[in-house]
Amino acid sequence: MNPHHHLDPSTLLSYAAGALTVEMAIVAATHLETCPHCRARVEEAECIGGQLIEHQQPGPGAPDEGQRAVLREAMLRRLDDEPVVVAPPPPRAAPYEADDRLPAPLHPYFGTSYRALKWRWMAPGVHCIRAAGTPTGTLLMLKIGPGRSMPVHSHGGTELTQILRGAYHDALGHFAPGDVADLDGDVEHQPVTVPGVACICVSALDAPLRFPGWLAQRLQPLFKL
Amino acid sequence: MPSDFTRITSPRGAARPVSTPTPSTRDTHDWTREMIAVARLRDRGSFMRIYDHFMPRLCLYLRGLGSPEAVAEELSQEALLRLWQRAAMYDPQQGAVSTWLFRIGRNLHIDRVRREPGWVQVLEDACQGTDEELARPFTSAEDYAEHVHLQRRIEELPAVQARLMRMSYFEAKSHQEIADELDMPLGTVKSHLRRAFLRLQGQVRGQS
Repeated sequence: MNPHHHLDPSTLLSYAAGALTVEMAIVAATHLETCPHCRARVEEAECIGGQLIEHQQPGPGAPDEGQRAVLREAMLRRLDDEPVVVAPPPPRAAPYEADDRLPAPLHPYFGTSYRALKWRWMAPGVHCIRAAGTPTGTLLMLKIGPGRSMPVHSHGGTELTQILRGAYHDALGHFAPGDVADLDGDVEHQPVTVPGVACICVSALDAPLRFPGWLAQRLQPLFKL
Repeated sequence: MPSDFTRITSPRGAARPVSTPTPSTRDTHDWTREMIAVARLRDRGSFMRIYDHFMPRLCLYLRGLGSPEAVAEELSQEALLRLWQRAAMYDPQQGAVSTWLFRIGRNLHIDRVRREPGWVQVLEDACQGTDEELARPFTSAEDYAEHVHLQRRIEELPAVQARLMRMSYFEAKSHQEIADELDMPLGTVKSHLRRAFLRLQGQVRGQS
């Protein structure tokens, strides 16, 4: 998988800084899993973070002289501790067939298996699952039937969508598995899924979608986005 | 010339310096050399020099992200102890000491304080460096001179870009939070951050 559509530099920077909302971070992490190009950019942003810390001048907020001495002594005593054995990461190959396995960053929110997903009908040809337990905005998985055209919409804020299966195209291009659409609020688009296979994607929104037009406005309550 | 990056405004409004008023490129220390001594010789002197420099800075960083004092101290200690215990894995080709500590500190904060599962693991996996396809365009940045360049570039950022970088890195504010706080359109926040990043990258990758 070699993605053609990448995360915006401002998204990569905030991801590395730990400054994305959790929903955006989950979708960004899902993209990073498949994208060496964006992983390299994140490393660059982390290098900047390291540099910023290194050149901070410790002032109020840092431990005072006395406390630093106490902590320093504690650290010196711990240098002889047995190193903590780091548990090896769980094997990537799971008890599922590889192609049934959801990307790892989604596991806490959607489980591990495509087959086990509990889709809810949302509109003709559109099914959806909303992640439970995320504090802000919206994180949802969408399944759009093949050859479907979504209503034209724009966003109050940012939409971050990672394509997992199938594909769609819109005015911005063709989006296939591995690709991410990192869209500003002013982008108005109408994705059309390709024929043959349903498009499954995971989206983070930080503001409600906006649908112009009467049909789309009737759909709005259905989407409740 | 000290840039906007030499001051950081705390949530309470008090300005505090984040960098020396004189160009801090002068006091850029070669931490890579110290770390190699720790990795190869278990050199305690080198480790404690790293500790003395980074421990208060990590604390300050974590408090800025919202950790209470005691938690910030505990996590900073843990981050530095990890550096000591995993020193044998250190490869100067794969990241500066400061980058490593930044990652550990940030990940500890997200895991333990914010408790947001799902995305730190990807970062940690990406850091393992076992994956051949993981391009590392930054290897030369670990070079001392490259770091001096990056630091200078940071200090030369236009004030507004520096401010937004600070809010992202030191306060973990999202684009929308920055937009709300500064009463700035979301698109403007993003384009400032985009430009700041590209500017710093250009320098770091050796293309001015």
